Amino acid sequence: MTSLHAAPELAGYHDEPAQLPSGAPGKNGLLHLGFARRDGRTALVGLRRRTPLLVHQALYWDEELPDLACVIIIDTAGGIVQGDRYELEIEVAEGARAHLTTQAAAKVQEMDANYASQSQRIVLRDGAYLEYVPEPIIPYRHSRFITHTHVCLPESATLVYAEILMPGRKHHGELFRYDLYSSRLSVSRPDGTLLFAEKFLIEPARSTPARCGVLGGFHVFGNVLLLTAPERAERVLAQVPAVVDRTEGWAAGASRLPNDAGISYRILGMESEPVRAMVRDFWSVARVAVAGHPVPARFAWR
Amino acid sequence: MIDFLRALQFGDSMFPVGAFSFSNGLEPAIQERVVRDPPTLAEFVRTATRQSATCDGVALIAAHRGIRCGDRGRAETADRALYARKPNEEMRAMTVRMGRKLADAAARISGSMNAAGPALDWWLREITEETTPGTYPVGLGLVFAELGVAEPYAFAVHQHGVALMMLSAALRLMPLHHLDGQAILYAVDEAVADDYRYASGLTLADMSAFAPQLDVLAATHVNAYVRMFMN
Repeated sequence: MTSLHAAPELAGYHDEPAQLPSGAPGKNGLLHLGFARRDGRTALVGLRRRTPLLVHQALYWDEELPDLACVIIIDTAGGIVQGDRYELEIEVAEGARAHLTTQAAAKVQEMDANYASQSQRIVLRDGAYLEYVPEPIIPYRHSRFITHTHVCLPESATLVYAEILMPGRKHHGELFRYDLYSSRLSVSRPDGTLLFAEKFLIEPARSTPARCGVLGGFHVFGNVLLLTAPERAERVLAQVPAVVDRTEGWAAGASRLPNDAGISYRILGMESEPVRAMVRDFWSVARVAVAGHPVPARFAWR
Repeated sequence: MIDFLRALQFGDSMFPVGAFSFSNGLEPAIQERVVRDPPTLAEFVRTATRQSATCDGVALIAAHRGIRCGDRGRAETADRALYARKPNEEMRAMTVRMGRKLADAAARISGSMNAAGPALDWWLREITEETTPGTYPVGLGLVFAELGVAEPYAFAVHQHGVALMMLSAALRLMPLHHLDGQAILYAVDEAVADDYRYASGLTLADMSAFAPQLDVLAATHVNAYVRMFMN
């Protein structure tokens, strides 16, 4: 796999920040999380970390799946800034079940030099189940953010992977004012066979994402991938009709991915809350199909 | 001169690859009133050609280069890479159906005239034996490399073909004057040279597409009762 830093869209952004150099200590966050079954539940058995990323211990807050290890990723920096280089490695052992989220929206701060990057490697073993449902990402004016995600998916494993992309600080009049948002994801079997790949490359100054066919006037984009075996994916697909609701101002639809990788569910809306609610509804349908239990009601404090 | 004529023939809307049965997402866009007049049609078609340039076009170029330098493996890698980047089932159906017809037609026509080389027979065999998906852009890159049509023109014919397919569908789906359709095609073609400059520098790993509205519309079409087109 080619290096994330060699991506052609970064060509204009290799200048060093006037502050700390790119990737310097404090900016090269690392998280390695290993989950495995221990005493009838899933435990966080492996943890390596480098500031500003950290996690707390696994909590068991999910009443529907009491064995589910729930972990919140914390970024102590309070925002993603120019020159940040984050790396996440998540490994879920055979039959283990984990839920990962983030503490707050990822705020990609305004930049005048360089870029911020995040590379993620998710390795699932046989029968593993992972929900990775982070808070939305908010790219501020002139921010440049690139992320690569690779998923290793055996046929018996499941990943629910969600992302919500905001247009910027909308209620401060900032709509699609960022320089670059580039998000690449690939999914392969343990033997290396490529199942599915996608790369979203958004450079609003080159071509506005507001245009017809792209976001088509919507502001918030939700993308949920359910990577799982076809029989489970079909059960979910049957319960998720494609809808374009012009009066309420949202649209969503699911599609079968190539090579039996699972399904993708795209959501378009005007504000984050309705999109988050739809991500949650889809995730709940997916969880019932895969784990036999719905997602419990949202905490009042989230 | 013959390369120019080959490009015209294989890129023509009359060439029997079945382009007339697909709208490339335009039918649901018109049904949902996302496209409703010539300006929105022009914008929608341009969105589609932009996606095509940064995704299909990159695979087409890779296949063309592979065949030109005798490396068939590159065409196959491009084919798998492109197929894996098609999140919509009807779009996948379109690309492999047209790709198969193109390979069949090209082998039959050129076989009788002995114009194309053995790569075409190999490609058709790979598709028939299901060792490769056989996407249309990769097939077109391969056929044009064999016929001596230069890389930029191979890319341009494909881009033009995407716009032409959608505009032909538009004439049947919405009130549209033929000359308004031609004006849109004329304007959309203006971007092909810039799109080529951009796409020709990308690797397969850089292939990108971002058109969630198109994806949602494609999803509404899968179970639609009323439909003239297969996508």
